[in-house]
Amino acid sequence: MNQLAIPLERHCLDNGLKIVLSQDSTVPIVAVNIWYGVGSRNELPGHTGFAHLFEHMMFQGSKHVPKNKHFELIERAGGTLNATTWFDRTNYFETVPSRDLELALWLESDRMGWMLPAMDQEKLDNQRDVVKNEKRQRYDNQPYGDWDQRLQALIYPKDHPYHHPVIGSVEDLDAATLEDVAAFFGTYYVPNNAVLTIAGDFDESQVMDLVQRYFGEIEAGAPIPPLPGDSCLEPIIGDTVREHVFAEVPLARVIMGFRIPPYSSEDFAVAEVSRALLGMGRASRLYRALVRERRVAKGVVTYAFPLLTNASMLLTWATGYPDSTPEQLEAALTEEIEALVEARQSEVDRAIALTETDLVRALEHVGERANLLSMFDLYFDDPDRLNHEIDRLRAVTVEQIRDFAASQLGSDNRAVLVYEPKRKS
Amino acid sequence: MSLLDRTQPPASGEIRQFDFPEVQTGALSNGLDLKICVLPRLPIVSVNLFLRAGEGSLVEGRAGTAVLTGDALEGGTLKRNGSSLAEALEGIGARLGVSTGWEGTSISVSVLADRLPEAFALLAEVTLEPDFPSVEVDRVREQQLAEIRQRSMDPSALASDEVSRRFYAEGLPYARPQVGTESSISSVTRDQIRGYAEACYRPGSGGLIIVGDVDPEQIKSLSSEYFGSWIGAPSAVDNFRVDAQTRERRVWILDRPGSVQSEVRLGHVGVARTTPNYLPLSIGNLLLGGTFTSRLNLNLRERNGFTYGVRSRFSFRSQPGPFQVSTAVGNEVTASAVREILSELESLVVDGVTREEVDAARDYAAGVFGLHLETAGQIASRLNQILVYGLPDDYYHLYRDNIRSVSTEEVTSAVKAHIRPDEVQVVIVGDAESISGSVDALGLGPLEVV
Repeated sequence: MNQLAIPLERHCLDNGLKIVLSQDSTVPIVAVNIWYGVGSRNELPGHTGFAHLFEHMMFQGSKHVPKNKHFELIERAGGTLNATTWFDRTNYFETVPSRDLELALWLESDRMGWMLPAMDQEKLDNQRDVVKNEKRQRYDNQPYGDWDQRLQALIYPKDHPYHHPVIGSVEDLDAATLEDVAAFFGTYYVPNNAVLTIAGDFDESQVMDLVQRYFGEIEAGAPIPPLPGDSCLEPIIGDTVREHVFAEVPLARVIMGFRIPPYSSEDFAVAEVSRALLGMGRASRLYRALVRERRVAKGVVTYAFPLLTNASMLLTWATGYPDSTPEQLEAALTEEIEALVEARQSEVDRAIALTETDLVRALEHVGERANLLSMFDLYFDDPDRLNHEIDRLRAVTVEQIRDFAASQLGSDNRAVLVYEPKRKS
Repeated sequence: MSLLDRTQPPASGEIRQFDFPEVQTGALSNGLDLKICVLPRLPIVSVNLFLRAGEGSLVEGRAGTAVLTGDALEGGTLKRNGSSLAEALEGIGARLGVSTGWEGTSISVSVLADRLPEAFALLAEVTLEPDFPSVEVDRVREQQLAEIRQRSMDPSALASDEVSRRFYAEGLPYARPQVGTESSISSVTRDQIRGYAEACYRPGSGGLIIVGDVDPEQIKSLSSEYFGSWIGAPSAVDNFRVDAQTRERRVWILDRPGSVQSEVRLGHVGVARTTPNYLPLSIGNLLLGGTFTSRLNLNLRERNGFTYGVRSRFSFRSQPGPFQVSTAVGNEVTASAVREILSELESLVVDGVTREEVDAARDYAAGVFGLHLETAGQIASRLNQILVYGLPDDYYHLYRDNIRSVSTEEVTSAVKAHIRPDEVQVVIVGDAESISGSVDALGLGPLEVV
């Protein structure tokens, strides 16, 4: 395929808000997407889960937008909307028919500039209940639901901001106050800590006037405070660390995680391609060996998390059959991962080909374009990186993958989390 | 002091006319429908081959055969084994997917436009020359059985299966899980799978849909080249009429001791996709529980904080699929949540709907329709709906106008006709000890802990 050529333009308002514009009028819809540079890594001790709770509060109205009006207006326009909170950032986004771009800008700017006047205790209590139910539904009431919390604690030391899970603890959620909401808003929800991307069908001659009109008068905030805790850590764990959990789970599952270079490091591309060799597609090493040939696992999953704070993580998991033991799963995973020191060029080519298809498919959605442009601007000050993503991965050599497997995927950098079905007495 | 008057939402701009993209329709001489849609925005293509080989046409003892056959396609062809097939596909960046439902099996490929001819050849090879080696058939069977075990501890999956069992009369396909049951799957043999593919992977009443950056003439010649000499029609057809298990309101608690939350499902047998009430009923469902600002979500989530979310849904199938409200709520509010859901259903059918609600839901449906015409895959799946349910070719071209012309009265009469609070089955998966007393005290009907 030829070089991707997603068009883009960058601007910055006086208050520090960064803007990325990407025009495409094929379909009369437009995506508005804001990334704020705040996530669970910014939470102070005793406040875990707050960044996510705060995200919920952002939908509870602002000075000029009554409760529920945000959803009502976007849905009325025929739009979709949502938000997500993760370790390093929180994003808010809507896709609307292009004639309602101004509506989306009004809503997003109102909560960026005038959220606090609409906050009250009743809304906080209501959303705290909603979030607790989210926690129950997605984590507590699910087999293996606490895996991320356990794995993070194995890979990151206690003071590191990735030690605790994004969803936080019930005790900390219970302790959250309206004063916390105000302080968090004043510190992090400032234009100089955000990127606004508009992608899709808009009028290029007018769009910056609209952005200026709605966001221009929001005052800049103070510089963002340094991360709490101690984010320094060694590039590898230094040992094999493990936890064995007997739980109400149907099948044994072994989750294996590794500390890897952060997303901001050039070496992260090597980790990404390595993970694709291991687990992307059905010709990948883990699927072929564990699922198709040895039949010890019913399924395998792999991720390389794009995290910024000094170290990211690569994880793999294998879920067994009723008669697979955790030991079998662990041995098979270990063997296949270590064998990556013999990676071949044909595997790299396959991984790049699949990644290319997946990226183009993602970019068919203006919402996904906007989301990636916001991310690249916020993380790397370089939204055009989107057009060079494939080149960045294609530049990874098979020797780099072999070296990476040897230095990062061995027994001195391994976190093993085992879930075993509780034995019935 | 704000410079701009922020007190009112800005008005919408001019509506930009936008039509469902043009589709070339035709058929091969073997009866396979052909739908081609050129979408040159990005160099990507979605190909979807729909075959009328669905779970709905299988007797109970064979349930799961269609799903397993679809799953086993990746096991290899007469020309190459499973691993080589995966390498051939992924080497050109092609994503192969097989999904099997009640009505049929869809075999689909996404690929960059410049690799389409190779992808086409592989799609034909997978479909027309599958090998089903025993070792791969055994594997997909074991995987499916393990999946069933996994579902048996997942509260939401348990609730879905319990809904099927309690809504539908015993023995009907819809009364069982779509993937089949442990006993039916265990007994499916390799020969049955080969026989099933031989009999049902046939072009008659199926279709081939290609959407993306393509040249229609090239597509026509590729289609004839690879699928032109394929013949026949599927031997099995759907042949059942749906009946409810009971018209009496009942409560079923599937005990899952230690649950910190209850998965709640509440509903009854709904209507078929072919109902003339499809659009008014869809609008009625949107305002009941199909959007964030629906009656149910504003009540249970935003007013009461009982849940992370609640939805209602009609599953429109070739025969009446379930209508159900679904949510997950804390143990201590389970009874209250059930009462609120039921009272929303009652007030919907007693008082009907308001003009404002219908306007909002219609605007949402008409607007959001355009958001789902972005990708080759989205358009292909719309065209697939036309094939599966025999909708007119201009269905999606007229969709927005038809949605906008739905009246308040039509919505009210549709929800009154198809939502019956007195007949709902209340299905709860949760900790029976902590919830059954308060749920029983609601006095909804006979309660059984299972």
